[in-house]
Amino acid sequence: MSELKPTNRKAELLLDAVAEGHVPEVLAMETVAGCATTFDPGWEVDPFGGVASLCQPMEADLYGCSDPCWWPAQVPDTMNTYPNWDAGKPSAPADWRDLDAVYPKK
Amino acid sequence: MSSVKIPGLKRACGRAIAAAGIFVAASSLAHAAAAPAGDLLVTAAKPDRLFIIDAAARSVRAEYRVPGAEGGISTIVISPDQRTAYTLVDRMERIVGVDLASGREVFRADLSTPGERVKDFFALAITPDGKELVAYELPTLLKPSEYVVEEPRFAVFRTTAGLEAKPVRSFPAPRRIHMLLARPNGRSFYALGFDLYEYDLKSGKLLGTRGIQQWQIPEHAQPDLLAFWPVTEPTGIFTSPIYTEVKAGAESTPTTAMMSLDLKTGDLSYFDFEPLSALIFSTILSPDRKHAYGVYTTLTSVDMAGHRLAKRVPLDHTFYDVNVSSDGREIYIAGTNCDVGFYDAGSLEKKAILRLPGCGDQALSTLRVIHGR
Repeated sequence: MSELKPTNRKAELLLDAVAEGHVPEVLAMETVAGCATTFDPGWEVDPFGGVASLCQPMEADLYGCSDPCWWPAQVPDTMNTYPNWDAGKPSAPADWRDLDAVYPKK
Repeated sequence: MSSVKIPGLKRACGRAIAAAGIFVAASSLAHAAAAPAGDLLVTAAKPDRLFIIDAAARSVRAEYRVPGAEGGISTIVISPDQRTAYTLVDRMERIVGVDLASGREVFRADLSTPGERVKDFFALAITPDGKELVAYELPTLLKPSEYVVEEPRFAVFRTTAGLEAKPVRSFPAPRRIHMLLARPNGRSFYALGFDLYEYDLKSGKLLGTRGIQQWQIPEHAQPDLLAFWPVTEPTGIFTSPIYTEVKAGAESTPTTAMMSLDLKTGDLSYFDFEPLSALIFSTILSPDRKHAYGVYTTLTSVDMAGHRLAKRVPLDHTFYDVNVSSDGREIYIAGTNCDVGFYDAGSLEKKAILRLPGCGDQALSTLRVIHGR
């Protein structure tokens, strides 16, 4: 854990749990509150350290990744919170310009 | 009104939305033999469409709208009698059965209930008698001030349950399952995740666990695989690329291996076939079991007896899914965008590309082949 630094309050709570011996109460979640069914690095690099072996083009992979919430940091959570993010935009290669950013509801 | 002829299907009535794909022939292979008559491909595309493709004619025979599938269709499972496609839709919360001849919705199971959200992460199987569906459920209680993670479970539905299907039984399941495969004995099914589990269909008893991530192969590191597409036609053998590192002295080499699981015999085997040089997402075994074909951004042929890479060609773009014609002479590729590719199984040359009407992305939908009889 010394290598990891919390970046939000929830992560700080995890450190508190470690300090207080409550780690068993921290459950590894799968398909729950947000959009994090997997924990992969994303579209940044391929296994060879470059980008040539990533899906080509990126648009071919966009919905294949966003539908199962593969990389939640880069696209909205369509599985639970923003299910209509891609509504009316069935083709990532044709419609990518219309895939907008989302903002928390007030 | 139009009718859709499915191999082995006597009744054929109903209404297809459209049947007009855009066919692009590869001129260099205009002389090549087409796929055997009777092979039909089943795939899906956003927003909510299920397509039946005549492989020999390179055309869309039927296009159906699947109710509740606005977010797309992921897993597709074909009933043993080839009359019904069971689809996982609604952001993995609903299973819809579609009559392939008419497009009529004949089965619906909403997995979530008020207060409990249930996701099925790709894993869906049908029993060999066609009477039951097995789904993998990841439930979460939605309380006013908190979400409670519940234990995952398998849920079994009767396929005759109609449009308000409820599970007839359920039993505990491990986490991180992404594929279910029914065994032809009708008594058990496999669940693939970090390891390979086998469960009794009736009692839910865990019959056995074999290592995938915990495999014990000398000098081989813990492996990794991506297996979302439960395709075992035409051989009844599921194959998947699997990635590991092979240690030799102080050096270790990233290596691509092949995993084979025979649903009938239960044989599970692995072999290395190349130092990691290209990614492969999914594979299919040829009818004669001599080759496996894999896709990603290249199309790969693997010599199953020689344990070596046989041939590899680049593709127009990344594809996720691969399947093979009933005579083994043609390879079909799909997934990601809106095109379905037809390739020669021997030369790996492109024979044709079919663009689906509307050109919606297929994304992660399964590519199935209904083999002619």
